[in-house]
Amino acid sequence: MVQYSSDLDSVFAAVADPTRRGILERLGRREASITELAEAFDMTLTGMKKHVKVLEDAGLVQTQKVGRVRTCTLGPRRLTAEAQWIATYQQMVEARLDSLGAFLERTKGDQP
Amino acid sequence: MITTTKRHTLTTPSDRTIRVEREFDAPRDRVWRAFTEPELAAQWWGRGNKVVIERDEVQRGGHWRYVEHSPDGEVHGFEGRYREVTPKDRIVRTFEWDGMPGYTILETAEFFDAGPGRTRLVSTSLFFSPEERDGMLHSGMEGGMAESFAALDRLLAEMR
Repeated sequence: MVQYSSDLDSVFAAVADPTRRGILERLGRREASITELAEAFDMTLTGMKKHVKVLEDAGLVQTQKVGRVRTCTLGPRRLTAEAQWIATYQQMVEARLDSLGAFLERTKGDQP
Repeated sequence: MITTTKRHTLTTPSDRTIRVEREFDAPRDRVWRAFTEPELAAQWWGRGNKVVIERDEVQRGGHWRYVEHSPDGEVHGFEGRYREVTPKDRIVRTFEWDGMPGYTILETAEFFDAGPGRTRLVSTSLFFSPEERDGMLHSGMEGGMAESFAALDRLLAEMR
């Protein structure tokens, strides 16, 4: 089961982004270089490096430079599918309440 | 973990509970209707995505199934059953995403008056994982399971 603690905040932030969830999913199958990931996600090298850095800071990914190639693998804090789902769910609940607030605002003058 | 924004307060009271509290500038009756009338729920539940409400039986034991369509063509189904419906007060229902079958979340929405024309909504989500369910099998339910299997054994023996 997932253990929540304050340092899980960085995990939530890391997996809030669909690209980063995609990166984790892909690395779960096999390691990949930053270049390979950038190509797979149709992104610039700089853009991909930023995503990998966020994941690395959260402990979800680790990287190792061999020669000129930086290889990414899943980090020590392997996020289970369940933990990813919980993080996604949480984002969804928050967004849903925002959406409800906007709806109630929008329909304020409507007849009941 | 406590995250407070100007809109809502999020807390994690236990290792498997997420609680979000938020006030709305609308009376309790309107907030309740936005939750329980499908044509209204469809207008906000999808967070901007189109929602098709295939089923929504807002009563104890009733089924609900909402399907969200995102602009990139992805389709996500969510469903569950109502466990408690107390008008304008409380809704308790299970929540499952098609993509994670078996990972049931118990959602509770509580509605409170918060001053004239305002409502405080408290949304609590309790996670169940298959691991916990398996844990249950090894404790109290084990005896019952063994008895059931013994009965099945006898039945199979008689059928031979």
